Amino acid sequence: MRSPSRRALVAVVATLVVLAPIGFFWQRSLIPNDLSPMTMGYADYGGGPASAHHGTDVSRLTGPVDQTPDVAVDLVAREERFDIPGRGPMDGYTLNHTSPGPRIVAKQGDLVQVTLRNENVADGITLHWHGVDVPNAEDGVAGVTQDAIPPGKSFVYRFVAKDAGTYWYHSHQVSHEQVQKGMYGVLIVQPTAADVIAAVHTYDKVRTVNGEYGERRVRAPGPIARVRLINTDNGPMAIWVDGASYKVVAVDGTEVNAPTEVSGKAVLVTAGGRVDLEIPTVKAVRIGLGGGPTTLVIGDGDAPTGGEPRDRVDLLSYGAAKPLGFDPVKATRAFRYDIGRRIGFFDGKPGLWWTINGHQYPDVPMFVVSEGDIVRMTIKNTSGQVHPMHLHGHHVVVLSRDGVRATGSPWWTDSLNVEDKETYEVAFVADNPGIWMDHCHNLPHAAQGLVTHLMYTGVTTPHHLGGSPNNQPE
Amino acid sequence: MRSVYRALAGLIAIGVLVQAMAIALAWFTVIKDVDDGSVFSENSDANVGHMIHTIVGSGIIPLLAILLLIISFFAKVEGGVKWALYVFGLVVLQFGLAVASFGAPVVGALHGLNAFALLAVAGMAARRAAGPAPAAESPATATGATT
Ligand SMILES: [Cu+2]
Repeated sequence: MRSPSRRALVAVVATLVVLAPIGFFWQRSLIPNDLSPMTMGYADYGGGPASAHHGTDVSRLTGPVDQTPDVAVDLVAREERFDIPGRGPMDGYTLNHTSPGPRIVAKQGDLVQVTLRNENVADGITLHWHGVDVPNAEDGVAGVTQDAIPPGKSFVYRFVAKDAGTYWYHSHQVSHEQVQKGMYGVLIVQPTAADVIAAVHTYDKVRTVNGEYGERRVRAPGPIARVRLINTDNGPMAIWVDGASYKVVAVDGTEVNAPTEVSGKAVLVTAGGRVDLEIPTVKAVRIGLGGGPTTLVIGDGDAPTGGEPRDRVDLLSYGAAKPLGFDPVKATRAFRYDIGRRIGFFDGKPGLWWTINGHQYPDVPMFVVSEGDIVRMTIKNTSGQVHPMHLHGHHVVVLSRDGVRATGSPWWTDSLNVEDKETYEVAFVADNPGIWMDHCHNLPHAAQGLVTHLMYTGVTTPHHLGGSPNNQPE
Repeated sequence: MRSVYRALAGLIAIGVLVQAMAIALAWFTVIKDVDDGSVFSENSDANVGHMIHTIVGSGIIPLLAILLLIISFFAKVEGGVKWALYVFGLVVLQFGLAVASFGAPVVGALHGLNAFALLAVAGMAARRAAGPAPAAESPATATGATT
């Protein structure tokens, strides 16, 4: 029999052996409350030259300052109760007392000015122009390109709508909560007379189209409709057309080259992504929106009701190839963006957490580029779940998926659905200096750390994540 | 110390029961929601049942298992360390099975089965610390054992 004191010593040592590693990993996972995007994580130069960061402050990378805007919109954000037609009241966030907020429509080349005022949203707000390659200071990311706008204060966004297409806007402050509860809206550049808009959003399990629940009807704009589908949710959505065949004429704001007719297939709209369909509307057609009770009927009379087709349009081979306008073979930097998942702590909470290249937020790679670089990026997902990857300020073109080369119309995207066990290779030209978020647009995933950024040499930001404005972009 | 050991082991057993109740609540809530016209997809937030299951499963039960292990070093329970290690191992296994189940749902059946093993082992551990300290111990150690 061991002596009591010896026994106590053994017990104390055994306790330390159990607690020390747990305490170490717990402590290491805590996220500082004040974090500069400039110094967080580690620099990844993608095989290009390493260089120090000094130079232009992001706040100088604005849209045109002096010109008179062609489109001027005033938006007031509130936390309040609003009505979902067909369903009832909902507590959430509005812009000018509606959710979705007012539709913003501009002609190509217009200078758009949005004055955003925060009436009473305690956490603060921002607006991000999803899919629009705006100058960096107008990008609306709290803690990176601006500070969150506190109650009673305003911020003015100004940018030229240089690319025609279907876009949307949403808060990028506490976005996993604010977007889901309604702070978003539609942005169309260069509308057509045939437009039908279908912005799909799920408020607390209630899926809506244009903010309305159930079977919604719109008049046919003519013999052919251009239906602009926008997925403002966190997960991918399959959409299909009952009663007609269709063409996919645009993806994420870029026209498809030589689209072919599709029938009996669904098309996937990535979370955050947009797809424009051209549909003959001589007879009434129904658009299935991921299943469930909410559908959109275009035209009068009965529209057929079908189920989700099993086959899907594959954008990798849809339409006809044409020159990209740059040569990805001449890439000056190549990055990998491996998405994994592991057991451990995240900000002190035990669980299963996302990793980027094996690292956990905030110790993630910062992808460093210089203006003019041709950049390749390989996005590989082994995390067990799908991730809609969204790079701000740029459009990327898909080169291959799982080693199969893209052969269709150039697939330019800003929101790419990367399924578990999929690998995409994409490329883009670094032509928009700034500090740009590159994150998962399943916003709760982003809040759990699946977020990093692309940073240009010679650009700095004075803003901090956390800090006194309490910037929480996700 | 023996009574703390017993209480912790008992709490783990109760935790397992709470987990079974929470997960049933979670999925019946989903069924009801879908009947009411809600969608359930990647977009859906966890409901109360899911939330309880996550918090108890990834937070409270592992914490209790660690505490039980530490207490077992000090409490004079016959085979106490061994049984605390069994509990700890089954908790780790349970967490691992949950993780694996997201990729391969069939593993979820083992997650359910392992819950019964954990319940049983936690119950046995509690029983070992029931009653007074074993008479076989020397008087010196026996005095320190009653807490
Ligand atoms: Cu994700």
